[in-house]
Amino acid sequence: MLSQFAYRKAGSVQEAIELSSRPGARILAGGSDLLGCLRDGVFSADRIVSISGLKELKGVAATAGGGMRIGALATLAEIAGHPRLRQAYPALAQAAAAAASPQLRNQGTIGGNLCQRPRCWYFRGDFPCARKGGDTCYAIAGENQLHCIFGGEGCYMVHPSDTAPALLALDAKVRIQGRKGARTIPLASFFVLPSVDPRRENALAPGELLTEILLDPPEPGARGLYRKVRERGAFDFALVGAAIVLAISEGTVKKARVALSGVAPVPWRSEEAEAALAGKKLDQQAIAAAAAAAVKDAEPLSGNGYKIPLVRGMVEDALSALAG
Amino acid sequence: MNPKPWGDTAVVGKPVSRIDAYERLSGAAIYSLDVLLPDMLHAAILRCPHAHAIVKKVDASAALAMPGVRAVLTDADQEARIPWHPDAQGKPVSRLFDPHCRCEGEEVAAVAAETPQQAADALRRIRVEYETRPFVIEMEAAHRAGATQVHDGGNYVYPPGTGDTERGDVAKGFAEADVVLEETYRTSCEIHTTMEVHGSVAKWDGKRLTVWNTTQGVFDDQAALAAALKMPLSDVRVIGHYMGGGFGSKLNLGKYTVIAALFARKTGRPVKLFLSREETFLSVGNRPAHTMKLKAGVRKDGTLTALELNGIGTVGAYTDWTTVGYQVADLYLCPNVRVKELQVYTHAGQSRPFRAPGFPQCSWALEQMMDALAEKIGMDPVEFRLKNIAAVSQAEENKPYTSTGFAECLREGARVFGWRQARERKKGDGAWVRGAGMAGGMWGYAGGPPSTAIVRLYADGSVNLNIGASDLGTGTKTVMAMVVAEELGVPLDRIQIESADTATTQYTGASGGSKTVMVDSPAVRAAALEVKAALVQMAAGQLQAAASGLSLVNGEIVSADSPDKRVKVQDLKTLKEQQVVVGVGRRGPNPAGKVIRPFAAQFAEVEVNTRTGEMRVLRMAAAHDSGRVMNRLTYENQVFGGMTMGIGLAMTEQRILDRETGKMVNANWHDYKIPTMKDAPADMTCVAIDPHDHECDTTSTKGLGEPAMVPTAAAVANAFYHATGVRMTSAPITPAEAIAALSKRRKG
Ligand SMILES: Cc1cc2nc3c(=O)[nH]c(=O)nc-3n(C[C@H](O)[C@H](O)[C@H](O)COP(=O)(O)OP(=O)(O)OC[C@H]3O[C@@H](n4cnc5c(N)ncnc54)[C@H](O)[C@@H]3O)c2cc1C
Repeated sequence: MLSQFAYRKAGSVQEAIELSSRPGARILAGGSDLLGCLRDGVFSADRIVSISGLKELKGVAATAGGGMRIGALATLAEIAGHPRLRQAYPALAQAAAAAASPQLRNQGTIGGNLCQRPRCWYFRGDFPCARKGGDTCYAIAGENQLHCIFGGEGCYMVHPSDTAPALLALDAKVRIQGRKGARTIPLASFFVLPSVDPRRENALAPGELLTEILLDPPEPGARGLYRKVRERGAFDFALVGAAIVLAISEGTVKKARVALSGVAPVPWRSEEAEAALAGKKLDQQAIAAAAAAAVKDAEPLSGNGYKIPLVRGMVEDALSALAG
Repeated sequence: MNPKPWGDTAVVGKPVSRIDAYERLSGAAIYSLDVLLPDMLHAAILRCPHAHAIVKKVDASAALAMPGVRAVLTDADQEARIPWHPDAQGKPVSRLFDPHCRCEGEEVAAVAAETPQQAADALRRIRVEYETRPFVIEMEAAHRAGATQVHDGGNYVYPPGTGDTERGDVAKGFAEADVVLEETYRTSCEIHTTMEVHGSVAKWDGKRLTVWNTTQGVFDDQAALAAALKMPLSDVRVIGHYMGGGFGSKLNLGKYTVIAALFARKTGRPVKLFLSREETFLSVGNRPAHTMKLKAGVRKDGTLTALELNGIGTVGAYTDWTTVGYQVADLYLCPNVRVKELQVYTHAGQSRPFRAPGFPQCSWALEQMMDALAEKIGMDPVEFRLKNIAAVSQAEENKPYTSTGFAECLREGARVFGWRQARERKKGDGAWVRGAGMAGGMWGYAGGPPSTAIVRLYADGSVNLNIGASDLGTGTKTVMAMVVAEELGVPLDRIQIESADTATTQYTGASGGSKTVMVDSPAVRAAALEVKAALVQMAAGQLQAAASGLSLVNGEIVSADSPDKRVKVQDLKTLKEQQVVVGVGRRGPNPAGKVIRPFAAQFAEVEVNTRTGEMRVLRMAAAHDSGRVMNRLTYENQVFGGMTMGIGLAMTEQRILDRETGKMVNANWHDYKIPTMKDAPADMTCVAIDPHDHECDTTSTKGLGEPAMVPTAAAVANAFYHATGVRMTSAPITPAEAIAALSKRRKG
């Protein structure tokens, strides 16, 4: 059951920043993640600052340069159904469509999706884990079948977002606004590994707001997809997933981006898989090499060794679909 | 004397929508969870967060001082020292708030406050000092010598050997076999997760207690409550009109009901106490995990020569039963059978009956074994099963079944599914491969008396039907109304139903064990027949005709000899004088010396991605012998729902306990995965095999709700094997399990 808190609806980005700079304040977009965390007592909030009325954070639109600007409040349903995104950025549209359930996609925003808290059952449950300021990660000796095979250190959760790997594979940038002004950074530097700080997932400081996402124009000959493996057909996070974006011309891969979900505490770019594809024809040999490269340096825990053949098979499956 | 079995029926067997569909869909139906009474308090329970701990001290002073808080209960309150959890000898080993907590989620204290929020806030302010103790959560570990003890007497619920059975000469049977296979199978612990969470509303009027309870049986709860509170049955009223699912988890009286009653007495106000979704994962039961070592011998011609099962299961922290061997001993003809089962305690939530307790687990082992044997001897799995059909119940001293449609289920199911074509279809050469599998099954229980039903016919010919049974959401009320409509010719919309209230309806056992239709519909039929006979008697006087020549047709009593002699029910003089005709019906005994059992065969076609281990169930067909179909729609509801639940057992559901702390890590609806619509195939069909069993009871019905999920998981596993050539012996077959198994083969 929710504890008591004050509720404020921000009238402007500036007001949202002011209101949420105070300790104990939390930003509310669609609330599909935040309210669950509060109800389950994962963390508390004295003040909820709703940004849901901020028009300037809404909408999906083409930019003058031929790219796209996606407001942080664009819903997952909006993104999944957007004709231009579906056609030119299929990895993103598919990732948004693969998240959660229809109701949650209507309610959940892309900003919230990137900033949602981990789904690790120790973090969400009644365990004083490292991410909550405790001194241990319970997954190390415990039930770690859903945990990471890359990038773990002090915390072994996997980043829950489906759209994050897609945006990473699209080399997206995010715009952040705070008291000190605005900055635009590559999404790749937005996420924070536990070795840097196990208590937060991203670069946002208190009072900072993610306001929009920027996409470059698609490369010529670009194709992409998001492939998600899950334990049931809906209402389920990725067991593992792969966002792949390839630029192919004259039969050769000019540029490859492979980003994985369900394998690391951040959306995980596999430069090894990308290197195995670059300059190659997308044939069975290259596909097999890339799939093997994707898991080459994986370090499984006691219960998640299956993720190695699984990621390999999934990448193979996804690349085969792009080749077909 | 029993009435004649029905021949052609006018209402029974037709597809009839729920008579309370509007109420349920519009929200007008008042479930116990919806009950709001003036001046009502809200209660909540503080639970032990440890797998094993002793409560040293509870300090509730801060909680009591919180705004809105009206009362706190702990083990320090004399009135709350109510014995609980009987052991195998029936001696209680615990109390309502026992300081010895043997699993996560045990009740430590409770609060009643003006609002649910205030109660929840107050819980957080109760300070408890725990002394944590070592725990054992793995049943194999609990069975090992020197294991941490759950109870002073050790970890065996019953002394090893209790209940073991043996017939024939098992060693000789194996010696005579051409093929002997042995395999260890495992199923996971499943949680019921009913749509309506567990809870009660309690209210006292002087010395009388009324409880609105979400329960499968109001009379069982009445008796248990009366015993717990040392009251006469006449002072305890339990009401359970609408119910949002039980699956076995609402057969036992819950502590929450007693706590609500204690608070209501203490504060003099009505008290509502419903559990959160998360609490229901810990403390209202489960289908326990099972490990089954099964050995089987068969001759080349398909004759089974021996079966031997060694099973181990855990009831959790308190006594229950978890045996699975029945089908091994009964389903297929086999002269030499040994069943040995161990039941152990662990520091985990107590098990409770869960839809066909023991049977889907056994089916997971037995039916995969049958599949493997068939392959070894080069026989079609359906043919192999057909070779071993039993006409008598080998588990029940070879008494004959009143009927068995098992062979018919296998044949008809195979035909409707297109078994041969599905088995011969190309498997596919890409990543996705297809396969088809099947399994047989049965349910090992039949209900019987007592049950009393009352039918009242009013002066205008409309009817009040009074039954004690709970409609768990399965359509019980609709089926019973159809029985009345069949006998009295009264349209369904002129039948009003009073059900599941200990003060106003008559005794029947709880709705469980797939017995409600077979127990209560004969009682309802008898009551309706009594009304019919009374009406005919009235008409005989009025028409000056012999009663034996009169019959009730479309609301009129008509003479067979002289059809001009007729009178409408509303025009019966005696009825006008009396204003009401009352018929009382009772369930008669089951036939002596015979065994009543439902049977089933189910078929599945699946697709497996050999790169990732993902599996999709493409289509399913079920053939069930559950006796007469009472309502085609509710029949299909049970079968399709049962198969969907079976998919959960096969593919998605498992309680996960943290090995380091003994705490459940997936006690919520995201991490504990029940199947969604996307996991159940759109293409599900079901055929009803009706053996016209006129011995089982007077409506020719056997059980359906539980057999509907017995063979499903095994059929899916067999289809997985057919698709991939890899045998998955542990349920559920998640992508993780599947890819681990498939990739082993890839390398090797
Ligand atoms: C049952 C269930 C299943 C789900 N399944 C999936 C799934 O399969 N895949 C998937 O990717 N997600 C899944 N989710 C998560 C859901 O998609 C995301 O929670 C959703 O996109 C979050 O958006 P929101 O607007 O509701 O976020 P909110 O709950 O409003 O916010 C989430 C977090 O982000 C912060 N935040 C939100 N917006 C901003 C902003 N603009 N700037 C800074 N901080 C911000 C909030 O403070 C909060 O901490 C699931 C959630 C549930 C409840």
